[in-house]
Amino acid sequence: MQSWRRKALLLALSASWLLVLLGAFPLLRLAVPTRPRAGASQGWPRWLDAELLQSFSQPGELLEDAPELPQGPRGGSCDWGACFDASKCRGGGLKVFVYSAAGPVSETHRRILASIEGSRYHTSNAAEACLLLLPLTRDSSAGECSPVPPQWNGGRNHLVLSLHPAPCPRTFQLGQAIVAEASPTVDTFRHGFDVALPLLPEAHALRGGAPGQLRQHSPHPRVALLALAEERGGWHTAGTNFSACPWDGHCEQDHGPEQTHPGATLPNATFCLIPGHRPDASHFLQALQAGCIPVLLSPRWELPFSEVIDWTKAAIVTDKRLPLQVLAALQQMPLTRVLALRQQTQFLWDAYFSSVEKVIHTTLEIIQDRIFGASAHPSLLWNSPPGALLALSTFSTSPSDFPFYHVQQGSRPVGRFSALIWVGAPGKPPLKLIQAVAGSQHCAQILVLWSSEKPPPPRWPETAVPLTVSEGHRKVSDRFFPYNAISTDAILSLDAHSSLSTSEVDFAFVVWQSFPERMVGFLTWSHFWDEALGGWGYTAERANEFSMVLTSAAFYHRYYHTLFTHSLPEALRALADEAPTCVDVLMNFLVAAVTKLPPIKVPYRKQHQEARPPLAPEGRGPRPEPQPPVRNCINQMAAGFGHMPLVSSRLRLDPVLFKDSVSVLRKKYRSLEKP
Amino acid sequence: MCAAVKYSLRGPALIPRMKTRHRIYYVTLFSIVLLGLIATGVFQFWPHSIESSNDWSVEKRSIRDVPVVRLPADSPIPERGDLSCRMHTCFDVYRCGFNPKNKIKVYIYSLKKYVDDSGVPVSNTISREYNELLTAISDSDYYTDDINRACLFVPSIDVLNQNALRIKETAQALAQLSRWDRGTNHLLFNMLPGGPPDYNTALDVPRDRALLAGGGFSTWTYRQGYDVSIPVYSPLSAEVDLPERGPGPRQYFLLSSQTALHPEYREELDALQARHGPSVLVLEKCTNLSEGVPAVRKRCHRHQVFDYPQVLQEATFCMVLRGARLGQAVLSDVLRAGCVPVVIADSYILPFSEVLDWKRASVVVPEEKMSDVYSILQSIPQRQIEEMQRQARWFWEAYFQSIKAIALATLQIINDRIYPYAASSYEEWNDPPTVKWGSVSNPLFLPLIPPQSQGFTAIVLTYDRVESLFRVITEVSKVPSLAKLLVVWNNQNKNPPEDSLWPKIRVPLKVVRTAENKLSNRFFPYDEIETEAVLAIDDDIIMLTSDELQFGYEVWREFPDRLVGYPGRLHLWDHEMNKWKYESEWTNEVSMVLTGAAFYHKYFNYLYTYKMPGDIKSWVDAHMNCEDIAMNFLVANVTGKAVIKVTPRKKFKCPECTAIDGLSLDQTHMVERSECINKFASVFGTMPLKVVEHRADPVLYKDDFPEKLKSFPNIGSL
Repeated sequence: MQSWRRKALLLALSASWLLVLLGAFPLLRLAVPTRPRAGASQGWPRWLDAELLQSFSQPGELLEDAPELPQGPRGGSCDWGACFDASKCRGGGLKVFVYSAAGPVSETHRRILASIEGSRYHTSNAAEACLLLLPLTRDSSAGECSPVPPQWNGGRNHLVLSLHPAPCPRTFQLGQAIVAEASPTVDTFRHGFDVALPLLPEAHALRGGAPGQLRQHSPHPRVALLALAEERGGWHTAGTNFSACPWDGHCEQDHGPEQTHPGATLPNATFCLIPGHRPDASHFLQALQAGCIPVLLSPRWELPFSEVIDWTKAAIVTDKRLPLQVLAALQQMPLTRVLALRQQTQFLWDAYFSSVEKVIHTTLEIIQDRIFGASAHPSLLWNSPPGALLALSTFSTSPSDFPFYHVQQGSRPVGRFSALIWVGAPGKPPLKLIQAVAGSQHCAQILVLWSSEKPPPPRWPETAVPLTVSEGHRKVSDRFFPYNAISTDAILSLDAHSSLSTSEVDFAFVVWQSFPERMVGFLTWSHFWDEALGGWGYTAERANEFSMVLTSAAFYHRYYHTLFTHSLPEALRALADEAPTCVDVLMNFLVAAVTKLPPIKVPYRKQHQEARPPLAPEGRGPRPEPQPPVRNCINQMAAGFGHMPLVSSRLRLDPVLFKDSVSVLRKKYRSLEKP
Repeated sequence: MCAAVKYSLRGPALIPRMKTRHRIYYVTLFSIVLLGLIATGVFQFWPHSIESSNDWSVEKRSIRDVPVVRLPADSPIPERGDLSCRMHTCFDVYRCGFNPKNKIKVYIYSLKKYVDDSGVPVSNTISREYNELLTAISDSDYYTDDINRACLFVPSIDVLNQNALRIKETAQALAQLSRWDRGTNHLLFNMLPGGPPDYNTALDVPRDRALLAGGGFSTWTYRQGYDVSIPVYSPLSAEVDLPERGPGPRQYFLLSSQTALHPEYREELDALQARHGPSVLVLEKCTNLSEGVPAVRKRCHRHQVFDYPQVLQEATFCMVLRGARLGQAVLSDVLRAGCVPVVIADSYILPFSEVLDWKRASVVVPEEKMSDVYSILQSIPQRQIEEMQRQARWFWEAYFQSIKAIALATLQIINDRIYPYAASSYEEWNDPPTVKWGSVSNPLFLPLIPPQSQGFTAIVLTYDRVESLFRVITEVSKVPSLAKLLVVWNNQNKNPPEDSLWPKIRVPLKVVRTAENKLSNRFFPYDEIETEAVLAIDDDIIMLTSDELQFGYEVWREFPDRLVGYPGRLHLWDHEMNKWKYESEWTNEVSMVLTGAAFYHKYFNYLYTYKMPGDIKSWVDAHMNCEDIAMNFLVANVTGKAVIKVTPRKKFKCPECTAIDGLSLDQTHMVERSECINKFASVFGTMPLKVVEHRADPVLYKDDFPEKLKSFPNIGSL
């Protein structure tokens, strides 16, 4: 009896355990069906009568909008359509008139004037201008602001430019004037109308400017992850184990691997944290120049040129209220993104911020883009090298027309080239050269620019490609004019004295197709810093490196003709006309300033016979020891550009089997090797 | 229990010798256990019934059954919208913290029917579109049903059309939402704002700090970086089946299809038509349509009747003029037709303008210049027009075509603001898929010549050829720019030689031992690599001179985004076999360099190890071959550029190890290599390798020039 009971009890107990183990969970799930998995079932209900629901608007309602007259601007606010009269700007793009100062010219005013005068925007006639520029500067003597200018007209078509913050209280209503000021607060900034400028230091370079500080693409493995902007203007770096740091400019927990840079030295870190107060905006440019990715914590100011620059590619704008999130995100950021951000900081710094001139030209280019509407720069041109100041939208708005974007776009330059032969003083038709060039399978046309006193001969040799002669080019810089007749992307620029073989032309062109943004030439010069004279010099002596190729025999993209004619300052082109050797220097400066890369040299058969390039017409051609005026030329160019853009190269591109010990029959460019 | 008791009453017959008290006790216990077991069995053997029980809980309800909420007349009203609101000031970002996926969580309030004191409804409960919108959010990754974890709240109160609601009462309904809190983190969707006579450009319902996704913002009402400008959905055209039509010239140059226009605009349009004749088509409402034809689907010009929206496909440019409201549903129809919208509505904030680049898909003309519109449009080159047509259609497909697309784009924009470091890029928003495919974004795009002083790190992969390895180390150490030497010891069965046996060299020498004998170890991004330039070199390449290596480094500095190597190879298309072929003969072209001796940027090690597409990496390790071809593919694919071959052709390996150059071995080798190329091309989906006809030599190479004065005299000698 007892044992039976015990057995039964045991059985019951084990059964109940079994029950608990097997059954409890499903039972519970059945009993408490309140929390199903997220998103699966408890979302927005599927209404049984969803089909019967009415649309939010009746068919007629969208169409039968009661028409109303447009309303004018409210509350003194302005937008582009309402406050700018673009009808004055037709033809010739944006023309800018700068008011001169009433009293003594302040330094800032002088710099603004200097950067506009001689540029493609400038006009000295207020009536013909479509934009009137009023620099707001603190008058050093009186401490007063510029008075209301004569043609003020409520500020219509005026640009009020204040390069440095808070120069003076505004004594007059800005009204309909576009305001371009440094780091404007987000509350007063009128999007699409005002222009946000960077907060420039007083001693910012006028032209050229300091290059970006980045020396390598990827961050060095030992460099600090973070630098923090400090209130007094310095930077404060911390190691990679940087953890909980406050965001207001002082770090208390972590006193390990850190250092403070006094003054305005550039930070050396991967990321630069910049607080959101307006005065801290000056840190922004420092970080940009240093290649330190700016991390902006809830900025209360508008980022410079935000209308056109895609800052998400170069900086991180984030919320200071989420420090841990931000820190974690920075630490885990993929290397690919870090690389891209770092490089973009350098490109932007160099394209738009490194000098006062660039900042002002960018401002004007933005306004011009608004006027141009559909033919403005596409975003790609603003946001990838070389930048919108060097990729003129008057040339084209299609990236594949430019030499710079082929790799990005997966496109190729148009197949063939145009030979442009400049005939100078002696005026002998270069028959042999024409035959050699026309013999190239890649040649599309030959253009002869006849600039000799003698009239051109009436008869020209029969060639396989069209040959056009045009007369009357006296100025040397005319050879770089963007002639409409040039129908191909590639130009082979030649002098009457040039001597090339078909094979040389063919190979050089094939090389150019791989490097359409560079100049590909046969004869080279190199520049050097002359300690003794304290200036730049250049030489045609053969050396182990070079930095220029002669335009008397060189391939380059036709876009450089447009850039040469329309973007170079008048003064530099005049200089080139006076001292004709200068024109080669100028063209090389231009291309190097755009590409930041050296030109390319290809093999030239006759080089060893001719110690000096014989190609130039009378008076042209460098001497082994360039004369003082020539030496002067390169220095004046360097001054005009604000820096020395030339880059040296130590290599030459040869055909793959060039002078290899293999049967000549195997070689494609065998005649290149003939002595 | 009742049954059990009854059972026990009849008990004595079954269990005669038991006491009644105990009987009741045990029988009850057994019954419970039995019942439990049965229940368990049921759930164990029909597990699907549990799953489906979840489905039963999905609400299949009627909208008429939603709870009714009575709003007292004096219930609070929110403040009017605060125009100075920005994400940094009005948005409570703390609610969105602690989210490893960088995705905001969105909660939707449950549907209620709001009535006022006298029982009159505040608005239609919900429209078809708003229901679709909330369904789309609910089905998306953003959705959460946990109000406490939500970062963004979407009321179920439908304010899409201001005409369909009572302003004050709707505001009161908003204010009584459980987490309203002055509207913080609340998102309202509105497509038709304002009402007669002045037609405000933003929703008139007081909403305090709530974000507004609105159709038809103007610059005066739009809070940049806070509100989201959305399209006005066109329910009418959604019902029409409109096959896509490619870009290209069309019958009409400019077309206007809007029916309700201000007389002034109508005059301008008529003047345009008079001036430019048949290339301009100005359509109007049809006046004398026969019965039963829906007037909204027809447009008329004089006596000609056109189908709408089909007629839009016949025009290159289509006018989108402001009506009473700035946002016009016609914009959506125009984009869909691949017609380039000509937007004439001053101060209008175009839909999603925060992320979409409208310059690529539309022409915006100031109202003042409406009379010049024809000449403005004519100045646009044909190629650009076609690009705009394509872009317009793509915008419609991606962001306009359904309520779901609109809802998700709106949430994505807000998400990008909150997690900016994970935001979609300009290209991701704006480039159509075909462009995304064709374009290359070089990871080392900045033209930058690294300083020579940085030097390079040589990485020697070795197994057990110690003698040859030591010769390579000695040779390489003579190169002036060498900064560090890394030996990757790939032999797990044998220890590397003792420290004292290694050659003494002037730079640091590190030996890394690997866990497995894999070829990909050569391309691992070792922490020891501090320079950007890496020289990969095999342990048997002893024929390269110091001059050649130093020159190779100089060439790499000028082309830091490319592979710069010594032995060059070529890929060819075999027309007979219809596949790629590997070529190592004396050719005039080069498309690959062998990584037995090549300079490249260390970033490519990272790419090779972590970002190699498909199964290429494991395939290479399994076959013990073609790691160099894989690297060539990878670099060419990511940069879109060709390799650079340096110096003339020569024999690279030691002269005494020529024994393996047997013909048959050579041929199997070629077949294997060709297979690699075909395999990789299929994984990459394209042939990324670029063929070039040049190689890099020193400027004065083989020139008639004193050898003593040349920088790199010892190059090319066999």
